[in-house]
Amino acid sequence: MTAETIIQSLASGLLMGLLYGLIAVGLALIFGLMDVVNFAHGEFLMIAMYATFFLFAFFALDPLLSAPLVAAALFIFGAVVYLLIVRFAVRAKANTGMVQIFSTFGLAVLMRGVAQYFFTPDYRSIPHSWLGGKTISIAGIYLPQPQLVGALIAIAAFAGLYFFIHRTDFGRALEATREDAGAVALVGIDKNKVFALGWGLGAALVGLAGAVMAIFFYVFPDVGASFATIAYVTVALGGFGSVFGAFAGGIVVGLVEAITTLILPPSLKTVGIYGVYLLVVFIRPRGLFGSI
Amino acid sequence: MLSVRDVTTAYQGLVAISNVSIDVEKGEIVCVAGANGAGKSTLLKSIAGAERPRAGSVTFDGNRIDGMAQHLITAKGIAYVPENRRLFPRLSVRDNLRLGSYLYRSEANRDEPLDFVFKLFPRLSERLEQRAETLSGGEQQMLAIGRALMTRPRLLMLDEPSQGIMPKLVDEIFQAVKRIRDAGMTVLIVEQRMAECLEIADRAYILQTGRVLMQGTAAEISGNKDVRKAYLGL
Repeated sequence: MTAETIIQSLASGLLMGLLYGLIAVGLALIFGLMDVVNFAHGEFLMIAMYATFFLFAFFALDPLLSAPLVAAALFIFGAVVYLLIVRFAVRAKANTGMVQIFSTFGLAVLMRGVAQYFFTPDYRSIPHSWLGGKTISIAGIYLPQPQLVGALIAIAAFAGLYFFIHRTDFGRALEATREDAGAVALVGIDKNKVFALGWGLGAALVGLAGAVMAIFFYVFPDVGASFATIAYVTVALGGFGSVFGAFAGGIVVGLVEAITTLILPPSLKTVGIYGVYLLVVFIRPRGLFGSI
Repeated sequence: MLSVRDVTTAYQGLVAISNVSIDVEKGEIVCVAGANGAGKSTLLKSIAGAERPRAGSVTFDGNRIDGMAQHLITAKGIAYVPENRRLFPRLSVRDNLRLGSYLYRSEANRDEPLDFVFKLFPRLSERLEQRAETLSGGEQQMLAIGRALMTRPRLLMLDEPSQGIMPKLVDEIFQAVKRIRDAGMTVLIVEQRMAECLEIADRAYILQTGRVLMQGTAAEISGNKDVRKAYLGL
C-alpha cells in the first residue's frame, strides 16, 4: 500500500462522505424540527433518482440541469407528505410514537411497491452525461468528476442551509419551532406551515443528492434502502437533529468507509461504518455534535 | 374592545371556568384576580385560542374569535404572555424579540417597537446576544412581555407576570404595564397578588372556582370589606 493509494482513497472517501452528508441532512432537519424520523427517506432519494433518470430519458436533460427541478419537485412532495400524512399521524391520541413510525414506514413500502409496479425492478442508468465516467487529476490523484461536483453541490447546499437558518426570518421561525412548537403561535407563526416547510426543505435536499447520485449509480426501486441505512448512521453519529452534525457525520462515514476498503476485503466495506457507529453509541450516545 | 360572554371551558371533562363574562374597554388595565385554581389562566387561554371554549363567545373589535387558530388570534392584535412565558430558550434575546415581528417581517420599520421595548426594559438591550435561558426569572418575564409587544398588539394579556420574580422586579414590571397602557395599548392581567394589581388597574374581576364572584372599578373592589378580609388580608 503506497502513500498515493491511501491519499487517493481518502480523497474519494471525503467526496462520498460529503454526499452522504447531503443525503442525511434532510433526515436530521426533520427530526430536529419535530422529533419524527422519516422512514421513507431512502424512498425520497429513490424517486429523486428516478425523476432525474426520466428527465434524461425523455427530455435528454443532463442530471446537472435537472437537479434544481428535481429538488423543487421533491420540496413539493415533502410538504405534501407532511400535510396529508404526518400532520395527522402526530395528532394520534394514543401510541403516537408507533403511529408516526408506521405512517412513514408504510409510505416507504407503498413508494417502493409503486416504483416496482410502474418502473419495473430493472436497474436503470444514465449512459452518458456531462460528468458520467469522467475523472480529473489533481496533483496525481484521480477524482471522479460526478462525485467531485456532487461534493461541491453538497458544500454549497450546506452553506445555503446555514444562511437560511441563521439569516432569514423563515429560518428563525424554523429554529423557534424546533425549540418550542407550541409557543410559535404566540408570535403569530403557524406551526403547520413551518413543519410543511421543514419537510419540503428536507426532501429538496435529498432530491438534490438523488439527482447527483443518478449520474454514477444504478436506479432501481430498492436503491434507497442501503443509502437510507447509511443516512441513519450518519445522523446518529453526528447527533440526532443536528444539521451541522449530519455534515460532519457524513464526512466521518465517507472516510471510515474508504479506510475500511483499504484494509478489509470489499465485501466487508460497511463493517467499519457500523463499528464506528457502535463505538460512538457506547461512548457518546448523543452523537458527536448532539446537544442532548 | 374585548367581550367574553358566558364562556365555559373544560379540560378532559373537568370544567375550569363556567359562564364567565368579562369586558375590556380600549385603554383600560383590567385585573382578573383570584386564588390558585380559580380559572384565571384558563380564561386567558380561552381568549388567546390556546384552549377552545366549550360554550360562549369571545368577541374582539366586533369579530368573533372563539374557535379561531391561536396564531390567527395573535395576528388580530392580541398578544398573550402565558404563565410559563414560553420563550425560545436556546435562541438569543435578539432572536426572541425579532421573532415577535415575524407577522410584519416585510415592513421596513420593524425596529420601531424594539425601541419601545428597550425604553421599557433597558436591561434587555444589554443582554441581546445572551441565550434566553441564561436570563434571570425577572429578565425572562421582561423578554416575554417584550416579545409580545413586538407583535404590535392592541390588547396585551399577561398571566401572573409576578410569578417567580424577586419583589423589586415585580414593581418594575407593574410600572412597565402602566407605561404600556400610556402608550395606547389595552392590558388584561391575571394575578394572584391582588393588592399590587389593583393599584395599577382601572377595573377588576374576582374569579372563584371558575365563576365571576365580583366585578367593579379597582377602587370599589379594594374598598370592599369582604375582599379586604378574604384576599387582601386587611
